[in-house]
Amino acid sequence: MNRTAAEGLTVKIIYRSLILMSLLYLILSSISPANALELDPPAEVPDSSFRFGPELQVAQETSSSPKTGEALEPAEEEEDMIADPLEPINRAFFHFNDKLYFWVLRPVASGYKAVIPQDLRVGVRNFFTNLVTPVRLVNCLLQANFKGAGIETVRFLMNTGFGMVGFMDLAKTDFHLEKKDEDFGQTLGVWGLGPAIYINWPILGPSSVRDTIGFTGDLFLDPRNYLITSTPINVGIRSYERVNDSSLRIGEYEDLKKDSLDPYVALKDAYYQYRKNKIKER
Amino acid sequence: MSLTLLYRSALTLLVILGMTVSGWAGEPTDRIKETTDKILSIVKNPALKSPAKAQERRKLIRQAIDERFNWEEMARRSLARHWEKRTEEERKEFVRLYADLLERTYLGKVEGYSGEKVHYEGESVDGDYAKVKMKIVTEKNVSIPVEYRLRTEGKDWLVYDVSIEGVSFINNYRTQFNSIISQSSYENLVKKLKEKETLK
Repeated sequence: MNRTAAEGLTVKIIYRSLILMSLLYLILSSISPANALELDPPAEVPDSSFRFGPELQVAQETSSSPKTGEALEPAEEEEDMIADPLEPINRAFFHFNDKLYFWVLRPVASGYKAVIPQDLRVGVRNFFTNLVTPVRLVNCLLQANFKGAGIETVRFLMNTGFGMVGFMDLAKTDFHLEKKDEDFGQTLGVWGLGPAIYINWPILGPSSVRDTIGFTGDLFLDPRNYLITSTPINVGIRSYERVNDSSLRIGEYEDLKKDSLDPYVALKDAYYQYRKNKIKER
Repeated sequence: MSLTLLYRSALTLLVILGMTVSGWAGEPTDRIKETTDKILSIVKNPALKSPAKAQERRKLIRQAIDERFNWEEMARRSLARHWEKRTEEERKEFVRLYADLLERTYLGKVEGYSGEKVHYEGESVDGDYAKVKMKIVTEKNVSIPVEYRLRTEGKDWLVYDVSIEGVSFINNYRTQFNSIISQSSYENLVKKLKEKETLK
């Protein structure tokens, strides 16, 4: 065992003991009555008395097995897609966004990528992610996902306190605590609201009626909108975040276009499936 | 002396851990692992990295993918109700064109390999169907959930769908195919597939 590895281990151990209490809290909250309720499907377990330990696991198994059975055998798939009555307008905006990407965003992001090292760009992304923790935290709570809310709280404290105000995602790299990517669009989905129709916004890209409402709602939870009241600076910061983010994802949109026969439909369906999956997997 | 003891106990622990890990994984996971490892070894092979070897490398990767994927099943599921209306000839042509498109899609994803790590996250088997979950962690520390869906027809487990971040390949292509067929025709879809083939 070499010295640096040993030192790294010690640091990890210190961090680990620091958050042991928080983890304990998480484990406790995961077996709280609220979650047990989620796991027990009433049809399977008529006895609703509160259970601990192994019984909980049994309940979990019974609840998950019919789900997989249903998902595994999509014998004849029904056509599951999002309604798109605005297709002509959406397609027009899709082309606008396509040009915006190839003529403006990609050149700027490529230039930025050439100058700024990747680690720093990842750090900037982490910083913004950490900054908008309230959005994820509040939406976890609105979805009664208390474990997720706990994780977000721990992540925020840890990354802000020990991870250079969020530039480092220690919670993820060292403790495998991944962010809970929740937003108000998903919350509305969890509450039972469907996406209604597809909307491809100029600049903002793929969305739906539900997710547009969600996006607007989340603006109220974004600390930047309270800290930076000057519109040009606010928009400037958002644009910078977009450029930074794009610099880490150059090639993704190009791949989508290359692999699809109709990029507009491919993006629409990818968006629909992605969001549906996120709501399901909260 | 104590150091050797430490090493020895660490080694024992590793062996036990390795045993339990392999004990958890079932056959579908093993098959996916096999193919993934095969592709990774081709991608990582320094002897195949030169531009002169690009063609050979592609051929090897395509072979590895080909062995594990059930193209016909994928084509049938992607065309859905339109599959029934096709003649035997049309189906054959379609499977070939679609397999080629999917191979290239897949190739594009693995050729850009730059040190991503693969974690297997369990499987579920239900009769002839199985799901294998994995997570790909990029060097930018982004985790991408990937899910393979397999089916066994008596012998080998073959892949009939791949989902990346919840977006299923066959669902996505089905929506595209359906949109193209309903807005123009099946012939137009084949024309578009052929255009993709020549594009390379």
